[in-house]
Amino acid sequence: MPPFVEMRDIVKIYPNGVVANRGVHFSVEKGEIHALVGENGAGKTTLMKILYGMEHPTAGQIFLEGRPVRIQNPHQAIDLGIGMVHQNFMLIPSFTIAQNIVLGQEPRRGRFIDFEAAARLTTELSQTYGLQVDPQARVEATPVGMRQRVEILKTLYRGANLLILDEPTAVLTPQETADLFRAVRRLVAEGKTVIFITHKLVEVKQIADRVTVMRHGEVTGEALRTADVSEADIAQLMVGRKVLFRIEKPPQQRGPAVAQVRDLSYISETGRPLLREVSFNVYAGEILGIAGVEGNGQTELAEVLSGLKPPTTGQALVNGRPVLGKGPRQVRQAGVAHIPEDRLTNGVALDASIADNLVVDRYFRPPFTRRGVMYPRLIRRHARDLMHRFDIRAASEESPVKSLSGGNMQKVIVAREFSSEPALLIAAQPTRGIDIGAAEFVRQQLVQKRNEGKAVLLISADLAEVMSLADRIAVMFKGRIVGIFQNGPDITEEELGLYMLGLKQQSPDEIETLQ
Amino acid sequence: MTLSQKQKQYLMEFFRILAVILIALALGFLITLLVSEEPVQAFKELLTGPLPKISWTEAGLKIRGINRFGNWLEDSITLILVGLAVAVVFRAKQFSLGAEGQIYLGALAAGIISLHTSAPAFIHITLALLAAAGAGFVWGLIPGILKAYVNADEIVSTLMLNVIAVQIYRLLLIQWLRNPDYGYIATDFFPETAVLPLVIPGTRVTIALFLTIIAVVATWFLMTRTPLGYEIRVVGDNLKFARYGGINTRRVIALSMAVSGILAGLAGAHLSMGILKQLTLNISFGIGFEGIVVALLARNDPKAVPLAGLFYGYLRTGAQIMERSSDVTREVVLIIQAIIIILITAERVLPLIQQWRMRRKLPQELSADHSEAAHVA
Repeated sequence: MPPFVEMRDIVKIYPNGVVANRGVHFSVEKGEIHALVGENGAGKTTLMKILYGMEHPTAGQIFLEGRPVRIQNPHQAIDLGIGMVHQNFMLIPSFTIAQNIVLGQEPRRGRFIDFEAAARLTTELSQTYGLQVDPQARVEATPVGMRQRVEILKTLYRGANLLILDEPTAVLTPQETADLFRAVRRLVAEGKTVIFITHKLVEVKQIADRVTVMRHGEVTGEALRTADVSEADIAQLMVGRKVLFRIEKPPQQRGPAVAQVRDLSYISETGRPLLREVSFNVYAGEILGIAGVEGNGQTELAEVLSGLKPPTTGQALVNGRPVLGKGPRQVRQAGVAHIPEDRLTNGVALDASIADNLVVDRYFRPPFTRRGVMYPRLIRRHARDLMHRFDIRAASEESPVKSLSGGNMQKVIVAREFSSEPALLIAAQPTRGIDIGAAEFVRQQLVQKRNEGKAVLLISADLAEVMSLADRIAVMFKGRIVGIFQNGPDITEEELGLYMLGLKQQSPDEIETLQ
Repeated sequence: MTLSQKQKQYLMEFFRILAVILIALALGFLITLLVSEEPVQAFKELLTGPLPKISWTEAGLKIRGINRFGNWLEDSITLILVGLAVAVVFRAKQFSLGAEGQIYLGALAAGIISLHTSAPAFIHITLALLAAAGAGFVWGLIPGILKAYVNADEIVSTLMLNVIAVQIYRLLLIQWLRNPDYGYIATDFFPETAVLPLVIPGTRVTIALFLTIIAVVATWFLMTRTPLGYEIRVVGDNLKFARYGGINTRRVIALSMAVSGILAGLAGAHLSMGILKQLTLNISFGIGFEGIVVALLARNDPKAVPLAGLFYGYLRTGAQIMERSSDVTREVVLIIQAIIIILITAERVLPLIQQWRMRRKLPQELSADHSEAAHVA
């Protein structure tokens, strides 16, 4: 019997000359959970976009149950029973869940949309597949995990037999991930087929029957049975070399408090309180990890502390100097460096050269500028030096940053922020979406800074990362710090998960003693 | 490696533009074929009109058409100055359309100094040029401040300020500056000490030519060798990144528009002190907007602005000559000119050709450049 989906000799060359897929062969059997893994830029998302009709292959063929098909656009893909759940949800926030699910194919009564039928259909679908949602709730008022279930139901409503899930666990808590996995198994039990894109190798072993590994646009491991391969094997296929999973962390040498944050609150322009009386210290020689489901104030915490947003109330001292309410330049001069969460928006100028990106915080100082004249030669030399030290792989220091892979782009930011010799380093989601090799490098650099006696504030949605790097862990929920823990073997993911979901909370006294 | 790659890029860009110009000219010729009795002759005027005709006669070397050649250079000087002005603001991603108004006020300021002060030539000219630059600076700073501090859309504000500038110019000209004895609205001719000295006899090409060369070098220096230039580039590439890096983005936005105004103001001085030698009711004929075309052709790169200005000036002058000396009407000439510009500024014309070539490349060949693409992927 032919495979359910088969993609043969797929080649994709973008107009700018980037080769995303070079002769990829990919096949999925009916009723399996097939993981597709690879580093960023390995070409896995491109391959799936081709299958979903969002991109057109330069060469190659697609077969559905042995029949050759041409998929020109997502509409055709949906007609063929292929559905895709994107990393960034495509839902209308102000609509109810039921409205979102039926959007575009609304049940009608006469000329009007039949909202009751929509809600009924939603309930039926949700029960069939064990995907709990509240049909009448507005999407904006629901947690991320539910939004994802809505996305999955949306594709099911459109008759998908093959579901492509693009990094579905990136935004979920451990509990939500467990729920999602249960739902995915149920889908398969109901006869669906699932392609699961991820870069978390633990999940591959947990959920998938088979795994296809991609690197540099090629398949390096084709449809391996997950029972037969180890995580280390998969990692090696992805990276092309052996990967260290454990980070060596010498015992902590904790110094005085470098940063002291007290009663920091921030109310957004739309009047929503996003930070509520946040207080903590970061000590020299420590990594303070901030854990929490995304959207609970972590982003704002980093932006307020680094001077990008003005605080509403509160105080923060860095080495005894007040930094709140100052602009980014003064904050930087007080010894703060910031790896921003949204690196494409804040962290780099994509069209500018690597060299120019590396001096945005120092271009006005000697040696780069003397008596009002800037010396591009020195800026380029500075860039070559940092590229060497931080292992940034690029054609040249004058290449635009947009030509780099995600990992190398992040290394540009890390190189700049680390080389400014900060007293306090704020690292927001420093390894998100970058490849294993680069993530490993960034983590080592963070630990290195801690060992040098700097203070590091690590904000990460990746709980495993926080637990492996941080000396203390603070959990944020709804803009508040609901718990602070000394990291150690007795701290478990499940325990932290309860705080992240707001189900547990320390008393103010407890929090104060661990500040 | 670095250099050769960069050179390759420039070469590619050069061939890209060359290819598109040829396509555009072919289209232009097709249109000429449709409307003209003598299309070859007409098109020849467009292509070669602005060049002086050099010939050997019994009497020796003879040059004809030097005035056409002069027209080309005069027009190019204005276009280059305005092109530089636009390139600076556009590089900061500020879509200021205020060059037109700045030209008028630059001409006005230069005119007032020329007519109402007296000084030895060098000082008189310097003062008038400074006045023009200052007027442009102020007229650029106003929308700059409005944009930076109260977020007034610069497209709207600069267009409105153009209206205000032109009307101030006309008001002062009609009420106060004009010589009522003339049958048309104009000032006296400027005194000798305030007229830019001639460089090429038989034309109106003055030392503005050298001033323009200085302006090109200065703008290039500003953009690549000063902190302000760096800030303008970073603000243009990514405003949020600039703010994150600690750049005072408001100051940079306001200054980018003001610096641009200086250059446009100088273009106004060139028009009044070099070309017209007096102030008349209409001096720019919309050339402030033509500067946008020049800046786009040059991809906002000051180094490339002179070439773009000379090219566009050539096209404009050739089109005028074609209109004057053939049966092709002005309207058709303008259409041909516009089509050429559309094609050249259409960024995706060449990528389309490249894509078509790539499709024909076989997958097997790709493995050859595997290592090269690895870091890009």
